[in-house]
Amino acid sequence: MIGYICKYTPVEIIEAFGEEPVRLESGYKSHEHAEALIHSNMCSFAKGVLENIIENNIEEVILTACCDSIKRLYDVLKDKVKFIHILDLPRKKDPLAIDLFYNEIIEFMEAYQAFKNKNFAEENLLKILESKSFNKEKQSAESIAILGARLKDDVIEKIINSCTANVINFTCTAEERVFNIEAKDNLLKSYAESLLNLTPCMRMAEDRSKLINKELKGIIYNTIKFCDFYSYEYAELKSKADLPLLKIETDYNDSNSGQILTRIDAFLESTGIKKMEKQRAKKGYFVGVDSGSTSTNVVIIDENKNIISYSIIPTGPKALESAFKAFEIALNNAGLQEKDITSIVATGYGRVSIPFADRIVTEITCHGKGAFFIDNTVRTVIDIGGQDSKVIRLDDSGNVIDFVMNDKCSAGTGRFLEVMARTLGISIEEMAKVHKEVKENITITSMCTVFAESEVISLIAQNKDQRDIIHALNKAVASKAVSLVDRIGRKGKYMMTGGVAKNQGVVYAIESRLGEKLIIPFEPQIIGALGAALISLEGK
Amino acid sequence: MDTVKIYTNIIKDNMDRPEKVDKLINFGLTSAYYYVSFFKDKRIPKSLHYLNKYSIKSIKDSLANPQNSAWVNLFAPSEFLIAMDIKPLFIEAYSSFMSGFFIEDYLVDTAESRGMSNTLCSYHKTFIGASELNILKKPKFMMTTSMICDANIPTFKYLSKKHGVPLYIIDIPYKYSKDAVVYVKKQLLEVAEKLEEVFNRKLDTDKLREVVKTENKTRALMREYLNYAGEKRFIPTMTFEMYMLFASHVFIGSKEVLHFYEMLVEDIKRAPERSGKSIFFIHLLPIFEKNFKDYFNFSDKFHIAGSDLNYDFVDEIDENDPFKGIAEKLILNSFNGEINRKVARIKELIEKIKPDGIIQFCHLGCKQSMGGTFIIKNLASEVGIPFLYLDGDCVDKRNNQEGQNRTRLEAFLEML
Ligand code: SF4
Ligand code: SF4
Ligand code: SF4
Repeated sequence: MIGYICKYTPVEIIEAFGEEPVRLESGYKSHEHAEALIHSNMCSFAKGVLENIIENNIEEVILTACCDSIKRLYDVLKDKVKFIHILDLPRKKDPLAIDLFYNEIIEFMEAYQAFKNKNFAEENLLKILESKSFNKEKQSAESIAILGARLKDDVIEKIINSCTANVINFTCTAEERVFNIEAKDNLLKSYAESLLNLTPCMRMAEDRSKLINKELKGIIYNTIKFCDFYSYEYAELKSKADLPLLKIETDYNDSNSGQILTRIDAFLESTGIKKMEKQRAKKGYFVGVDSGSTSTNVVIIDENKNIISYSIIPTGPKALESAFKAFEIALNNAGLQEKDITSIVATGYGRVSIPFADRIVTEITCHGKGAFFIDNTVRTVIDIGGQDSKVIRLDDSGNVIDFVMNDKCSAGTGRFLEVMARTLGISIEEMAKVHKEVKENITITSMCTVFAESEVISLIAQNKDQRDIIHALNKAVASKAVSLVDRIGRKGKYMMTGGVAKNQGVVYAIESRLGEKLIIPFEPQIIGALGAALISLEGK
Repeated sequence: MDTVKIYTNIIKDNMDRPEKVDKLINFGLTSAYYYVSFFKDKRIPKSLHYLNKYSIKSIKDSLANPQNSAWVNLFAPSEFLIAMDIKPLFIEAYSSFMSGFFIEDYLVDTAESRGMSNTLCSYHKTFIGASELNILKKPKFMMTTSMICDANIPTFKYLSKKHGVPLYIIDIPYKYSKDAVVYVKKQLLEVAEKLEEVFNRKLDTDKLREVVKTENKTRALMREYLNYAGEKRFIPTMTFEMYMLFASHVFIGSKEVLHFYEMLVEDIKRAPERSGKSIFFIHLLPIFEKNFKDYFNFSDKFHIAGSDLNYDFVDEIDENDPFKGIAEKLILNSFNGEINRKVARIKELIEKIKPDGIIQFCHLGCKQSMGGTFIIKNLASEVGIPFLYLDGDCVDKRNNQEGQNRTRLEAFLEML
């Protein structure tokens, strides 16, 4: 077995040697071995591969001179595995580049031949290539593309399984190895050429805009921290924005986390290619349960979309218990019993673990639905909850057409304000009251909760007025929120939802940044649950 | 509030008026230029003073005349530009100056809000931010190599597309071979052709040869300078070691740079004998980091003994076939290829310079550099020189954890 990572690897040559090429994964939560060998701020995919190789004693590795991370991976591994080879990979594909790559392949073959003490038979290669030569049927109909940096195999798998469209993977893991090799007089050279002619990755000099065609239903764009190649193309696509586009930022290893999968689901829902069972609207009462990381909220509506009752309780350590409790309170408030309920839709972080729900829908779709129901002039929903924040863009009919979420840290969320209130020694309610009249315009420079906290401590030490510090904190939260808005572009009217919408200071700070009033619903915490209840009623 | 702060605030308040910001930046550069010219700091040797002025002027020149300028990166072969009298502007320099004006945070945030990854190197983000805001006027041409740094190709591809400015990417192989030289030489011929077409003037091969000859003479002086670097105390502030990149890279081959090195060699001969402890830097120096400024600028105790980036190529270029010669120079750069090359160069340098300590400042997002940290650490322990690496950012000051770094830096310096 020989491990590889890049699609430009001459996998077929390895197979022709009778050896087994295995694409190396990286899925480690900890990089204990890797970080003893390489600086921790390297791309986490590369670190994960290093961890994998060391942990599993992989003895043979073939790399390409893809990027700075992989080049250094090679340097670090050089005397640690039995066989390692790095192929220089040209970024162009003119005849000289092909010559260069051809020589590289020959050099690898010689090295491998010597290491394995095995002979290479060209007939084997030819057979393998013939078996991979085309006639793949052209898949028709709708497609979505996965672009950007590599995504974990299980995430790709999940996307394929949960959408009705054809999924085209343009990343480093694409297995579109079809060859049409005719010039048999120099098989190896033709092979080198066809490898260089694979769909170009961002590392290549070639322009990739031809990959994007109007027929695509949407693009999922993946970027990996500390990977330089990808994000530029996203910026370009975003500025053109005539296709639904979802950007996910991961450190590779966490690309299958709940948050990312939620976003992918919501994206598939919003582009209308999510697989789901249709249900017909029925009579009775309809429930939405929003199981968030901080609070669990339930809304009950009747068949005419009147809100009958709702409940808001803090989410305890067990999401399911809290959901039961909130459901019970809402039933009591409405004077209803469980048997009166026609259907239940669950949303929020904990949605998958609610067994009494008939369906689950992401909080993105639900928030959009709920907000538009309350006020159909809303085009942008700013939701700032306890531990995350998101901005959702609606079209004129209330459909979600774009959205962004914050990174996984708590910067700019309710949690951030809570920590700061504690540091200031006041309650979150007191803090929420402070707005307007400032004496000194202080700015908190750090958005990271930990660093901002130490900034606040030093402001306290400098005897700054508490109200000015609170004002500065509100500004910080507002600036984070507005920068999320800017990522999808500004468009009024705005509705703010989530617990933080109850904080007047923050609302005021966002309004002055946007230069526009925010619509604040009567109970900003139940909008997700309301949306879920509406979906439960509409049955679609 | 000091003057720089006022100036910074004025620029930041005007970010939505690119014309005005462009003028303000030009004003800042002009003031810096005259400041340096009139208020000569006695502690600064003549040659470095000259370099300071030359560097500011070169940036001003290319900004003032975008129609005769090309955007490049540090490693691009600007011999062609010098021979054709085209003014290069290199990303790394522009971004450092913007950090000097304290507006890098705004520019970085702009780039990020357009979709750039927040872990991308801040030299690139600052430059992209300035270009997004149209503070930077588009040039006539762009040229980059693929070598050493991943950020170059995508940054230039992005900017070229955005502004509709022609770009030439020179793909530099990772390994050296005859075929690799042929591959690069052909591309260099194409670059020359492109330049002739875009700027509508001829590249005179004799002139190019002249530039290469000057470059070779300059490098001979560079090697001579190194002979003294082990005995003398010379570089007064970190900024000068970084200004040297103008001379050792983008403007090498010009008469002015040759003149600079002539003066430099004279100056170092006259410099005081080494005293205190000397530090050799790997890759970059954090010129805006407070702890480093406190410890190294105009210090008697600790002084800067050089950095390997200024000596990534020290050989001669083939004057008979400048295209081939430059191709070889690019492929053989000590930062290109396997890390062994870089390690060997550092070894040569520290044998000459004999520093008391080695510091690598790992600039956030620079993987080519930090990926080798532990290997260089091994080298240092092999030769018995204390080694320290610290994380931070040479441009975006918000990424420097000064408190944490202070303790580590102090402990290291105490140890020496
Ligand atoms: S970015 Fe390109 S060269 Fe690098 S691993 Fe992916 S496909 Fe290979
Ligand atoms: S994710 Fe990016 S940085 Fe990491 S190995 Fe792949 S191409 Fe290189
Ligand atoms: S610091 Fe590193 S990443 Fe940034 S431009 Fe220089 S080489 Fe590239």
